[in-house]
Amino acid sequence: MLPAPAVFHFPWEVNTIQEGQSVRTFGKLVSYHPEESRAVLSAQYASKEHLVFVHTLFVEPFNPIIGAQYLVLGETENVEGLTGVCVMVRARVLNCVDGVNVALLQKAINEQRGFFAERDSKKGAAALPADPT
Amino acid sequence: MEATSMEAAEESPSMLWGLDPIFSAFARLYIRDILQMTESMQVPGIYFYNSHPIYKVDILGTVVYKREREDFFCYGVDDGTGVINCLCWKNYLQKGEEALGQSKFASVLIYVPAQGGFNLAAEIKKLREAQKNRCHLEIGELLRVRGPVKTSRQQREITAFVYYKVNDPVMAVQIEWMMEVPRLYRECYDKPLQLRRDAGSDTTISSLSKATNIIKDFLKQKSVSRFRPYDVQDLLQPLISCQPQTWKEKSNPVAGVSGYQQLRQLLKETLEMMQNEGIIYRKVKSQDEVYHVTTQDKDLFIAVKDIIREDSRREKYAEKGCHVLHILSAVRQRYSLNVGKPALELVLKSLECNSDIVSTSDNYYTAF
Repeated sequence: MLPAPAVFHFPWEVNTIQEGQSVRTFGKLVSYHPEESRAVLSAQYASKEHLVFVHTLFVEPFNPIIGAQYLVLGETENVEGLTGVCVMVRARVLNCVDGVNVALLQKAINEQRGFFAERDSKKGAAALPADPT
Repeated sequence: MEATSMEAAEESPSMLWGLDPIFSAFARLYIRDILQMTESMQVPGIYFYNSHPIYKVDILGTVVYKREREDFFCYGVDDGTGVINCLCWKNYLQKGEEALGQSKFASVLIYVPAQGGFNLAAEIKKLREAQKNRCHLEIGELLRVRGPVKTSRQQREITAFVYYKVNDPVMAVQIEWMMEVPRLYRECYDKPLQLRRDAGSDTTISSLSKATNIIKDFLKQKSVSRFRPYDVQDLLQPLISCQPQTWKEKSNPVAGVSGYQQLRQLLKETLEMMQNEGIIYRKVKSQDEVYHVTTQDKDLFIAVKDIIREDSRREKYAEKGCHVLHILSAVRQRYSLNVGKPALELVLKSLECNSDIVSTSDNYYTAF
């Protein structure tokens, strides 16, 4: 019924995600091929360009603005690319969010992750001494 | 197993829930936590996050699932930590808008003159459009929902009190939300609620009220009309011996006398309280401590009745009757100086119940 929650990932992390996971990520639209339903988002990180391949069949038709920031939400799939197997996101949602403060968005994602990491470590710490007793 | 038994034990009594400010707020929890909260064993529909009682929440997320029925929308909302169903009722503007909406307003609109440049019909149409836009969402749009959490068919869902589409073209609202929620968790939701309990005063109050009840029961059962403190002293002995030992430990240097002294002290306080309530009074203050039980004192009843009957005949009081304070001063002059107002009120009340006297208005009594 309900899909799995799409957890925020940075564009440079998408390639390390297992197949079939729900993700949400962002990037600048650099190319779109409507005949193949394929789009590519890109993001700069650590002086390197990271690409996110997006399958857009489920969100068509949409208004592609090359150079604009997009937010994508979908499931990962492994596909054969030119340079071997790569991860593609089959989009359920593709929103144009041009004008987004990317630095602030990254900070917010890190904030949320930091919170969960802190809470999990606290829970782990609380559970450990309780176990022997 | 340990964890579940611990959680059940941790559930605070429902009487105290209102003291937790989070209980009456719309909690901005992550959907993951809303899905994982334990439901209360005492009251279904109340959930516990970190032992905070919660029943209504406030969420913001992307619509990832949508189903429309005649009366409501069902939106699946994803905030990046979980997905939850939100039941969003349509209002009459959205529901059958042609049939219901038009006919309802048509009758009103006919009488509106359009000369002022303000066209009500057009404004209503605009309002309806705006409302429709805000309530009718597509997958991928941002939705804000406030409402109580429910479990139906073993699935958590939120029944929306309020829901609307959030226009967030540059993600400013989402980013703000993502920054704010962890702060709320750290400052409110993850902090355990500490109710200040003054255990010491608590036990003395309860033992005092217990002692009062014991003596009251004794007086009633035996129809006692007067007694001396040592007559009832032994009745309170069980209260002292079952007191926690901490009292004695604290007063270690005088441990030998503490038991008896506690008993004396408790008795003194109890009798004082009963006197203040007017249940007992001392007719004469002398060395010999005799307490009269107000409702068993026939002489006092007769005295009060006589005073009212006599004074009601006097011209001054004939019309309105005698005021309580007048009766009180007369009783003090003629019967006993130590009768208090609460005791007199008890007497008046039972005289009135027997129709010996009649109250003419608030605080005024007469007799025929």
